Amino acid sequence: MSDDVSRGAAPQGGASHDGASQDSAPQPKGAQAGKGLTRRALFKGAGAAAAAGAVFQQLDALAKDAVPQAPRSQGPGKTKITLEVNGTKRTVAAEPRETLLQVLRLPLDLTGAKPVCDRGQCGACTVWLDDTPVYACTILGVEAEGRKVTTVEGLGTPSAMHPVQDEFVEKDALQCGFCTPGMVMSAAWAVKQHGKELTEAQARAACAGNLCRCGTYPHVLSAAVAAAKKGS
Amino acid sequence: MKAFRFVRPSNGREAADLLASTKNALVHAGGVDLLDRMKERVDEPDVLVSLCDAKGLDQIRVEEDGGIWIGARVTLAQLADEATCRRFLPTLSEAAGLAASPQLRHRATVGGNLAQHTRCGYYRHASFPCLKRGGDSCPVRAEGGVQDTAGIFGNRDCASAHPSSLAPVFGSLDAEIVVRDAKGERLVPFAGFWANPAKGRASDTRLRPGEVIEGVRIPPRDTKQFVGYAEIRQKKAFDWALVSCAVRYETDGEKVTSASVWFGSLAPVPMRSVAAEEALVGTVCSDKSAAEAGARTMASATPLAGSKYKVALGKVALKRALAAARERA
Ligand SMILES: Cc1cc2nc3c(=O)[nH]c(=O)nc-3n(C[C@H](O)[C@H](O)[C@H](O)COP(=O)(O)OP(=O)(O)OC[C@H]3O[C@@H](n4cnc5c(N)ncnc54)[C@H](O)[C@@H]3O)c2cc1C
Ligand code: SF4
Ligand code: FES
Ligand code: FES
Repeated sequence: MSDDVSRGAAPQGGASHDGASQDSAPQPKGAQAGKGLTRRALFKGAGAAAAAGAVFQQLDALAKDAVPQAPRSQGPGKTKITLEVNGTKRTVAAEPRETLLQVLRLPLDLTGAKPVCDRGQCGACTVWLDDTPVYACTILGVEAEGRKVTTVEGLGTPSAMHPVQDEFVEKDALQCGFCTPGMVMSAAWAVKQHGKELTEAQARAACAGNLCRCGTYPHVLSAAVAAAKKGS
Repeated sequence: MKAFRFVRPSNGREAADLLASTKNALVHAGGVDLLDRMKERVDEPDVLVSLCDAKGLDQIRVEEDGGIWIGARVTLAQLADEATCRRFLPTLSEAAGLAASPQLRHRATVGGNLAQHTRCGYYRHASFPCLKRGGDSCPVRAEGGVQDTAGIFGNRDCASAHPSSLAPVFGSLDAEIVVRDAKGERLVPFAGFWANPAKGRASDTRLRPGEVIEGVRIPPRDTKQFVGYAEIRQKKAFDWALVSCAVRYETDGEKVTSASVWFGSLAPVPMRSVAAEEALVGTVCSDKSAAEAGARTMASATPLAGSKYKVALGKVALKRALAAARERA
């Protein structure tokens, strides 16, 4: 063990502290009202003048609000998940251990997003969660509840393609096609973010998390830039 | 993955209470690291206490005293993009923006980045013996072991290399980790957060079961700080650092009066180089003093056959981090 390491990692013990917590954050204005009312504030405000009955009534009402609800617990068996997929509300039953990718592909039958590495390392499963690209294989289906998911099927259809899909065909931006649905989602995100001004460098950065075994990268980037120029 | 129950506390306190009252539970944040471990059955929790609905842990803000609070659930994308971080903590922003890929940065959180387990391939495969998983020895150190990412310090028992590229930056900024359990909150100085490897000790941190990271606090400074970050990796995009280095120093207008030098991916835990700091103080920061500081750091390195190259790489990373600090100023 070198000196440096042992000094770096030497236990130093945590000092006790109560400065940086969320609790010390200033309360938003109007926090005295409704749910924000604390028991102490209530007693102070009620004072001796208030009739005991009224205080207890208020306390009861408060308790109903203030009693912490037990945090939600789902599974281990199947649980209901409602999410918005490609603009449509869908409800499925899935176990918490099922990834968003599994939920999309099996019960929802959206097989555009591909399971390739299943370890967050290739990008083939890229979808948008609330308009942001993520790897569906690293997310649990239960986490998508109440949220918006967009897959390559939701971007455009064969008869009404998204400009990025159009340009992928135009620029010959795919070979085996396995990375393509994910690549399209990243490229379309780049177009959405940067609009007509999208540069090749920006497209490259947006697609950096999508690996293509066939080496289609140059065509992918030119397709993204061309799609941006067309506008979408 | 083994089946588990998924629980969604609404804040850090509730998460800590749940952890205290639940057997075989683990904290879940972005899931980037944890789900991989669970898919390989290296971890088999019965319950995940998820921070996915936890309120108030997703903010970066300047506190009254000028310190900066970063909630545990802040993502790497937020660190890279949000103005507060870019302006006040440029090296953290830079390291976060280089890490992983856009998709992962949208999910990976600060708490999870600090508490992530080693990327050692043997550790992450239940069929291999591994000291950290309770085995008798380390296959990386054994004959024929794959050593190309192995650590070059503190590697007598376990030759893993700490994967976080944010960690050296947090170290260089004297970050404090805010940790909560069912009884309350404590503030852990960065250096005291880490635990050297031992038989059966899977985590690289001193977090105790039942504890949850609520955030990280960067103390305020009233003097000019020179800060720099550099990492070296095989690919420009979507890759891990082979070595990362973060520095912070102050000067009297000319000479360095105090310095902080931290490395990632060289040892099982983030590594401070006191030798480099001592070498820099009293010098005018330059490539020459950087070379001396690098040489002194590496004097005590114990590389394995496959990780010798990290000795040279570490020196270059330090030189680049110091050059970046000078340029930024
Ligand atoms: C392909 C790839 C490339 C990557 N490249 C980089 C890189 O270049 N640099 C880098 O630094 N990282 C990199 N990472 C790692 C990534 O940043 C981490 O895995 C991620 O930050 C973990 O955060 P998470 O929120 O997903 O944690 P999770 O996976 O949810 O949790 C990780 C661990 O931390 C614990 N944990 C999480 N949050 C808390 C909390 N608040 N309190 C207590 N314990 C907690 C969990 O129990 C678990 O053990 C990469 C990962 C991948 C897959
Ligand atoms: S380097 Fe550490 S984590 Fe990897 S196999 Fe050896 S003991 Fe296990
Ligand atoms: S399948 Fe999800 S990233 Fe490879
Ligand atoms: S087209 Fe084959 S992997 Fe990209």
